[in-house]
Amino acid sequence: MLDLARLQFAVTGSLHFLFVVLTLGLAPLVAIMQTRHAITGKPVFERMTRFWGQIYVINYALGVFTGLVMEFQFGLSWSGLTHYAGAVFGAPLAIESLVAFFLESTFLGLWIFGWNRLPKKLHLACIWLVTLTAYASAFWILVANSFLQHPAGSVQQGDHLVLTSFGALLTNPSLIMAFPHIIGASLFTGGFVIMGCSAYHLFRRTTEQEFFRRSLRTGVVWALVGTTVASGFGYAQYGILDEIQPGKLNSGVPQIALGIMILIGQGIHFTVMLCLLPLLWRDRLARLRWVQPILMIITPLPFVAAIMGWLVREIGRQPWLVYGRLRVADAMSPGLTKGMVTFSLIAFVGVLCLLAVTDYLLIARAVRRGPAHVALGAAEPAEPTPSPALVL
Amino acid sequence: MEIIWLAVFAVLLIGYFALEGFDIGVGMMLPLLSRASERAGEPGTRQRHRDRVVAAMAPFVLANEVWLVAAAGTFFGVFPSLDGTVLSGLYPLVVTLLVSWILRDAGLWFRRRLDDRGWQAFWDVVLCAASWGIALTWGAVLASIVRGLPAQPFDVLGLLYGAVVAAAFAFHGHAFVAWRLSAQSEAGSNRRRLLLSAVVAALPVAVPLVALVPSLLDHTAPSATLGVISLIALPVAPILVGAQVWVWRTFGPSRSTGAAARTPSFF
Repeated sequence: MLDLARLQFAVTGSLHFLFVVLTLGLAPLVAIMQTRHAITGKPVFERMTRFWGQIYVINYALGVFTGLVMEFQFGLSWSGLTHYAGAVFGAPLAIESLVAFFLESTFLGLWIFGWNRLPKKLHLACIWLVTLTAYASAFWILVANSFLQHPAGSVQQGDHLVLTSFGALLTNPSLIMAFPHIIGASLFTGGFVIMGCSAYHLFRRTTEQEFFRRSLRTGVVWALVGTTVASGFGYAQYGILDEIQPGKLNSGVPQIALGIMILIGQGIHFTVMLCLLPLLWRDRLARLRWVQPILMIITPLPFVAAIMGWLVREIGRQPWLVYGRLRVADAMSPGLTKGMVTFSLIAFVGVLCLLAVTDYLLIARAVRRGPAHVALGAAEPAEPTPSPALVL
Repeated sequence: MEIIWLAVFAVLLIGYFALEGFDIGVGMMLPLLSRASERAGEPGTRQRHRDRVVAAMAPFVLANEVWLVAAAGTFFGVFPSLDGTVLSGLYPLVVTLLVSWILRDAGLWFRRRLDDRGWQAFWDVVLCAASWGIALTWGAVLASIVRGLPAQPFDVLGLLYGAVVAAAFAFHGHAFVAWRLSAQSEAGSNRRRLLLSAVVAALPVAVPLVALVPSLLDHTAPSATLGVISLIALPVAPILVGAQVWVWRTFGPSRSTGAAARTPSFF
């Protein structure tokens, strides 16, 4: 039963991050595109904003669905955690939902439905606010996660932990290198998705060559920024781990996962820096047709690396839920039966996997149809008569 | 401090019912509301009528449903010892509520992503059924909490209270669509009716909450925790309110003119 509950958390958590990592990666890039349109007034930047913005928004849906399960899952299956550490762990989660996600969702609604309705500058402000609050959200979630890795800023009082230093929670050594590492991984993912989709259109020689030459450049440059940041702050975590979680990287799965992640991160880092970036000169990469299928095939790699990273971090924490303080086995909700956990596992994992596959197919379709068929922000030609009011 | 955070939690949960209540109500009533629009002699296919009804609520959904996300996060932070007890005590109900919520959202996000009549009709059925699922499950959840988490959460009383919640949401959804799609001349009376229906939608949760105040106050987090949440969250509160007001100012009934009126809804 413990394994079923763990499996449920691992699958929903992994699914969540597959979508969130792209959300975090695309949001700033879409914001930059829209800003360039606001500054230069060039239509190509507006088209890029709408096309990549639509990919971002379709992807966003699954981030929300899986995130809802994540938020409730602690109390559902791991009430031992809420009892023992809720007074510390709950604070960053409460702040995340109240301060960060509340605003992110509200501003995203304004951005999606505010096309052609909000003044252009305010509409632009919305996507920047979405980006800012999305990163704030990631920060607070990682504060909470880092507490599980290294319960800084707390002491045990009776049968539970109490918060003694908020500062220690925010300067947790497990957090300070991991947060920029995740930002890097996200930009790497956002850049790679833009690069791979652009390669597809360039290879197919669709009519949108100019659009995707520009996009390809954006993708390659941000993949370089992302891999540089991700690998730098990845290696920076070695010394910290030696101090706070010694031996974490020596056990089976984390060791293999770490190897795969480094192979992908470092391999792509050098490939982008030494091969792809120089080929951007005079748009050579956009004309090198034989390279483009390779760019398409390697597009999923940042997602693989991201999952590997979480496997290292979370399996390496076992058997602890709160490192050194609370075991996973002792944190399960009392009174859970195997039937209940099986029911929720099938319900959540079944529904979310089906929706995730559907979502990826919709993204693939939106990419294939290209910038000429974007629903986001599209204005239909004027109708001759305004429709009358609905009478109920 | 305990009183402030109890109040914040109550405002968030009651706000969720008063706001998201109409989205759930519109989803439940989608077939009826779109048929009413059809009978009113509007042009267009049946699918166009459904699109029009969904488009009425679409700009509000993201700003409304997030009230529950915030309420749940606040519940965890402010009442950590209750969070696990209540959620795991309601295990099958919480799972049903979440699956319904996810499917309702999936219906909204996916319904217009393909120009295929079967695809759109399918997600509209999901949207409608899942909205019913949310309303009925909320009734069972509240009935279960008030009775101290009985071992068997699905029972007649839960179902009856579910019917109460569903009726309140349906009324609220109806009032909302009338307000959003109303002509200028009827704006005033429709607004008053929407405010009334918001109160009706909030009552099924507000009444049990009042009864639960003493036991909630017994389980608040230590003051150090509440202090930290206050430090970060309270200064931002005016921005939260401002963002919500901005949504209502942007998507009110009289603003749909020009290019905005010709922009098909994303949901």
